[in-house]
Order: sequence, then structure tokens, then C-alpha cells
Amino acid sequence: MSDLETETRTQQIKQLALEAGGDVVGIADPRAWDEHVPHGHRPDDILPGARSVIVVGSRGPTAGAWRSPNHRVMEINGYDFRNDAAIHRVADAIEQQHDHQAIQAPGLPVAGHLPPFSMMLAAVLAGLGTRSLAANIILNPKYGLLYYSACITTLEFQYDHMLEQDVCPHHMCVESFRRFGKTPCMAACPSEEGGCLDGSIDDQGRIDYSYYDRERCVTRAMNFGINSFQKALAQIVSEQDEEQQATMIYSDFFSRSCSAITHYKESVAQCFECMRVCPIGRSERKLK
Amino acid sequence: MTVTSQIDFEEAKSEIGAIAAKSGALVGGVAAADAFMAAPEGRRPSDILPHARSVFVIGGAQPRAGDWQSPNYQHMEVTSTSDRMQTLALKIARTIEDRFSYYAVCVPPGVDQGQQPFMSIAMAADLAGCGSRSLAGPVLHPEYGFMYFGAIITTMPLPADKRLDTPACPAPECVAMYAAENTTPCFGVCPIGSGGCLGGRLEAGHISDRQYDSARCSTRVQNYWVPGFQKLLGATLQEPDAKKQKMMLFSSMFSRTLWSMTYSNVSQGQCSECMRVCPVGLAHRTKQ
Amino acid sequence: MGFYFIDPQTYEKYKDDILDLSHSVQINFQEQLPTDKRQPGLSDKQIAKKLGLEERAVREIRCVAERDKYPLDEFEEAIRFKENACRNYSVKGMSAVMQKFVEKSKE
Repeated sequence: MSDLETETRTQQIKQLALEAGGDVVGIADPRAWDEHVPHGHRPDDILPGARSVIVVGSRGPTAGAWRSPNHRVMEINGYDFRNDAAIHRVADAIEQQHDHQAIQAPGLPVAGHLPPFSMMLAAVLAGLGTRSLAANIILNPKYGLLYYSACITTLEFQYDHMLEQDVCPHHMCVESFRRFGKTPCMAACPSEEGGCLDGSIDDQGRIDYSYYDRERCVTRAMNFGINSFQKALAQIVSEQDEEQQATMIYSDFFSRSCSAITHYKESVAQCFECMRVCPIGRSERKLK
Repeated sequence: MTVTSQIDFEEAKSEIGAIAAKSGALVGGVAAADAFMAAPEGRRPSDILPHARSVFVIGGAQPRAGDWQSPNYQHMEVTSTSDRMQTLALKIARTIEDRFSYYAVCVPPGVDQGQQPFMSIAMAADLAGCGSRSLAGPVLHPEYGFMYFGAIITTMPLPADKRLDTPACPAPECVAMYAAENTTPCFGVCPIGSGGCLGGRLEAGHISDRQYDSARCSTRVQNYWVPGFQKLLGATLQEPDAKKQKMMLFSSMFSRTLWSMTYSNVSQGQCSECMRVCPVGLAHRTKQ
Repeated sequence: MGFYFIDPQTYEKYKDDILDLSHSVQINFQEQLPTDKRQPGLSDKQIAKKLGLEERAVREIRCVAERDKYPLDEFEEAIRFKENACRNYSVKGMSAVMQKFVEKSKE
């Protein structure tokens, strides 16, 4: 297969991904995973013979949702899974038109909070963003927060590479850290006040140290869902007083936990406070 | 909206089939609503839609070739695309009503009270000539093999197709294997005599006897779904030791059942081992 | 037994170590950091090898420990945190989060 043919089909598949609902698309070399994750979590472990990893990113909440003073609006509407839909179109096209194997990379966790394949790492290696101080979220230079899905395939495409320029910290955040000891995200969720984040920026304006308490973040970002259901259930089953138990079962907290289990869109992305104050991608959310 | 007296039902059937194909269905067919006499009372088309005349069946959304190749069995537990057919079935029902002014209703993919299906979609697929029942259980299309089906019941009198003249199962390879080794690939991977789900006999190249342990199959296909959740909940509630009970409630197994119920659209079919080894449709599962 | 779950004694013995070695608290996780600075967590398999345990046991202990780390109170606190943060930002913008640090810097 000539370089020109590879280039052509790379452009075509990227175009398809964008038309299918992606805001950004990049392609990573599966060998790039070797440096970053152990065996069992690399593209070849999921699809033997993997030659490319196509990554699609799409925005979550609408610009209007970001403006709501009611945080529950974004908790319900925060994630529409457009990136998954786009990746399915990409995988279908590769198998049907190019006769090579292609799969949607599995993103759901299969053991606690550890997914079999990291979409965030895929986004970094495909050049779609860099990891930030804010909960290690991958920030795209234009859009900021995006959600990512990946297609692993045995078909070779032209590869993109990791961004050379760090997206985070923004120069405003560098200035903020120098003057006040905090970036906006750290200020919104400081670990020393029961939050999730801490960090520092060096003299060159780059991340020097970062700290992220994932389990605390889970209590916020997955406030209602599988986690809260299990914990509430543990309390409910050990309650001896029947009347008290009934009030626990019918409580708003437990009801919302059950609702989030039923409606999967409710069970992910339930806290955006570090992203709300992040300057990256802010211009994309300014509308009339 | 078309006036009913002017409709050419053969043309209408073709039009609906074209819409289905354009939207991703691999196969389509029609079964007469009064052909479901083998179904128990209460589970026939006219029990769901009074005066039903036809059942339009669509099939597709197969796992991709790459999906079958993954050595990580958990990959297919969390990446099913079966709900694409249900979405398409809804679209077709709307089309029939809006375009042709006949009543149409999708057969719900879930279960009615008593854990019984509203109507057997597998039976509908078989009657509509979209495939035939296999030794392993699923309806197989002679060319494409395993796929997911959706069914739309309508009062529109569409010309019915007939059942396949030649069943897809057993495949010639399986007939040959049975003659030589007294087993088939699906029996071999999940033998009922050794703790599996499948057994049976072939005579003169046809299925003469079939054994299927549906309760055991459910422990595999719905490994983490509602049946698994209920069993775990029962065991957990009965545990008298509070510390052990907490271990059970927070266990990876219990967590998986909750993830599976939350993301039920991608958790369909948590065991595909009999289909992995099935030669029917193998050409479509073979890519580079 | 019914289904596999970890016994409470083994859990209590190893939960802190396993959580520390895993991705639970992520320090210097960024890919762009120099190699000598990065501290990515270990996989279940790597932790098992390090602690001399079976991988399955490590996975089970990690899963329970992730759930167990913070009590339900923290989930309730999360509701208050988000309610305050979101509403304050809609009124005050960036100063809602930065104000106290600006004032602290003047002290």
C-alpha cells in the first residue's frame, strides 16, 4: 500500500469521524502504548495485530448547560456519547469497506475503577490533548474538555503524534499560580479543604507536580450511581429498625442512586467544577 | 401519508426493506401474523397489536470481525451493538405509521411479567426467512451467521416470506465433524455433559435432537445482569457477618452487575463462545 | 461460598498498600513529565508480583478499597460542594473560587 493511498484513506476516515459527530480526531501508533502502560492494557492485548488506534473526541455539555446555576442540569445532560456513535461508524467503515478488523475499544471498567483500555491515554498519544492539573483530564487546545472513544484496527493509517506544546497550564493559570499559589482548578477543588486537586508549576510555566485524589473525585463525579447505590445498600441492609430502613430505601439519595443506575447517562460526569473555571476552551462556550 | 386503498403492498414492503438496509440492517423479511401458532397464547402478534396482519423482521448489528478475535473475553461483554436493531425497529414502526397509515408497534426486546418475552423475536426471524434455529440456540442467517434481530408488528398486510428451504444449521462443516467425531464446534466448546449448556444429535445432516440448559446458559450470557445481581443480592443479604457482607457488597462481582444493568445496551450477550466457533457466516468474520 | 469475595482479614491487611500502589491517588501522572518524575500507578498484576499475592486477590481488594475509602458522608458533602460551587460561579464568576486565595496572598 503506497504512502499516497495510506494518506488518502487516513483523510477519508478522519472526515467520516468528524461527519459522524466527532469534534476532533487523531490516529495513534499502537507501539506508543509500550512506554506508558503494562501488558494487558495495550491495543494489541485487545485486538492482536493492531496497527492503528483512531481516537475521536466530542464535546459533552452544551454551552448553555455550562451556564446553568443548577449543577444537576449538567449531571443529567453532561454526556451524550456522540464519540461512541462516531467510533462505531468508523469501525463499521473499516470492516465493510477495507476488509480489515476493527473494534470499538472497551471503555467501561471491568474491575473497579480500572478500564481495560484508557481512552485518555489514547487521546494523548493521538495528539488530541495533554493531561492537565485538573483531575488529569485531557484538555484539547481548542475545546478543552472532550470525551473520547477509540477504534483499534488492523488497518494501518498515517499516525499523529503527541502534542509538543502542553495545553495545561494556560498562561492565565501560570500567572494565577505565581501570584496566589493556586490555579483556578486547584482553587475550585483544593485537596487541603477536602477536595481532589493540588499541584505546582515550575519557572518555565510547566506542570512541576500534580496530585489527584481519584476516589474523592468519584464521590463527586459519580455522586449517584453504582458507588452510592452499593454504599447506601450496605447501610440499608444493616439497619435494624424497619421504619428507619423504609425511610432510607425511599430517600431522595437512594432514589437518585437507583435512577442513575437505570439511566446510564446519569451515572457518569456528575461534577464539572474544575472544568467550569478552566480557561482552556472557554471561548468555544461563549455564545449569545 | 398514503391513502390505504392505493398502496401496492409489494412495493411498500420493498420500500421498508430499503429503508432498513440503508439504516444498517443486513437482512429483512416478513412473517404472517397468523403463522405464530407454535407460540403460546398471549405471546402472538395479535396479543400485542389487535388485528395484526404482518411482522416485519430486521437483522444485523453483528459483532465485528475484530470483536471475535480479541483474546480478552471481557471486551465483548461491554461492547455489544444489539440496540442498533431496536433503534431501527422503532424507526421502521414510525415509518409504517407515518407513511402508510397502518398501526405498527415494535416488539419490546425485554421481558414481560413472569420473565417471559412479549413475543419470540427468534420465532419471527425464523418464520420470516431471516434465518433458522441453530443447535446452539440463536437464529443463524445462512450467509451472515449470528446477528441481532428486531421485529415490528403491523396491521399492514405485507406479503409474507417463507421459511428457509435449507436451514443454516447444521453447516456442512458441522455435519462432517459430527460424522467423524460425534460432536460439533458448539457442542465441543460447551458440552452439556461436562457442565455446559448444549447437546444433541444430527441424523442425515439434520438436527434430530437438541438439549439446551437455558438456566446454565443464563449464568453465562447474563453473567453480570439482573439474574446475577439478584443472586448476589440474595447471598449478600443472608450473610450474618457485617464485615463479610461489606466485602460482598463492594466486591468486583457485585460492582460488575451494577455496571451491566446501567449500561445494559452494551451488556447484551455476556457469553458468545458457542458463536465464536460457529462456521456459519465465518467469511464475514474473516478480515485482515 | 457462592461467589468469590475477599475475606475481611486479608482485606484489612493489604488494602492500604494496594490502594497506594494503584492509580487511586495519582501523583505526577502526566505523560509529558520527564520520565524520572512520572509516577504512574501499577497494574493489578504488577502489584500482585510486588506483594506476593494472587492477581485475583489484588483486584478484589483494590475494588473493595476503592469503594471503601470514603464514607457515604462524602457523597452527601459532594452534593453540597457542587451546589455551592455552581451557584456561586453563576453569580460571581472566577472570583467565586479565587477570592480567598487572593486575600490570603495579601496577608
